[in-house]
Amino acid sequence: MKTGIVIFAHNSRKVDYSLMSLISGGLAKKHLKISVSLITDQSTVEWINKSQSMQKFNNVFENIILTDRPSAENYRNLNDGELVDNVPFVNGNRSSVWHLTPYDKTLLIDSDYFIFSERLKPYIESDHDIMISSAMNDLGENRAGTLDKYVSDTGPNLYWATNVIFKKNKNSKIFFDLVDFIKDNYYYYAELFRFYPKPYRNDIAFSIAKHILDGFSLDLEGSLPPISTTIDRDILVEVSDKGRLKFLMNQGSDYVAMSIENTDIHVMNKQSIIRHKESLLELI
Amino acid sequence: MDERLTKALDFAKYKQSFNLQRKNLKEKIDGQLTYGHNGGIFKIDRSLITFVQLLIDRQRVENVPLLDSNDNPILIKDLILFRDEILDRYMTSVYEYSEQYENIKKARSVEKLLEL
Repeated sequence: MKTGIVIFAHNSRKVDYSLMSLISGGLAKKHLKISVSLITDQSTVEWINKSQSMQKFNNVFENIILTDRPSAENYRNLNDGELVDNVPFVNGNRSSVWHLTPYDKTLLIDSDYFIFSERLKPYIESDHDIMISSAMNDLGENRAGTLDKYVSDTGPNLYWATNVIFKKNKNSKIFFDLVDFIKDNYYYYAELFRFYPKPYRNDIAFSIAKHILDGFSLDLEGSLPPISTTIDRDILVEVSDKGRLKFLMNQGSDYVAMSIENTDIHVMNKQSIIRHKESLLELI
Repeated sequence: MDERLTKALDFAKYKQSFNLQRKNLKEKIDGQLTYGHNGGIFKIDRSLITFVQLLIDRQRVENVPLLDSNDNPILIKDLILFRDEILDRYMTSVYEYSEQYENIKKARSVEKLLEL
């Protein structure tokens, strides 16, 4: 059984997802010691070529798989600390991973998820058709609200599609086909589960699919560990050569300093990743 | 601003960073205490170690089913080897926790806290 990691990256005018996937893929490969493949589109590859970094991509990724670029109708506000910008999110094709992955067992990670430990290894080796994180672990203090835990005030548990592990088989195909169906009928499910339908969120589509396939109940079996997360209002301020990441954590109107090392981390402030690209790339 | 209030607010900043460092250190150690074996996932804690040792003391050492963190039965072929591995990982993690926790307690400024 061939096991590997898959990352999606579709660049937008404002965010260089391909660069983030290079960092994310390099770190995952280094710490989990398994192959990584990139799923991207022609225009993103053209940008990689234009930026003369294809050699780095070839060093990190076992395969660079081309697919159609999803539509960029999905906009949301993205903070960079206290600055805010309305940016396109080109991420509507995550459910196609079942068809596109070259692996029998796949760890799907977001391009802003950085693996600095072996924590996911036992989960990759465990025997489940599909595994997904059932919670996020806010690295700040007391900031997680209801909508970080549930799809809506009255909806089911929110799972985090930042990490998904699946075996390529009939059961996981049913799951990803259902995610695709929910995406196609997102407004209907928004009415049904009472969540706001804009922008489209993979986390919500995955959560509803899991809720349905678990028999409309909460089943935490097959849960991956909580996603340790810094939000987009937090600012990455320094990356040491030993891999220690220092942040300013937004606590309401104030900022608190925090550092972290040897811990897998979801960095939602994408621009602060880009600002530290050199030091992050040196860690891979 | 009154100097007494300035000093109190500075200390509050330090304390907020201290609390975040301590919370995130605990999370890191929790992650290290997850152990995969034969397709199961075990959370290593004192009760797992004690229960495994009890079974070994009762001469149940081969092909023993244990319930993992998801309450799934996982067959452990060699329980002595399993015990040694979980005990070793537990003690390594707790020593690391102890050492880093002491360092955090000793750091009396935000700058020093962030280096730990």
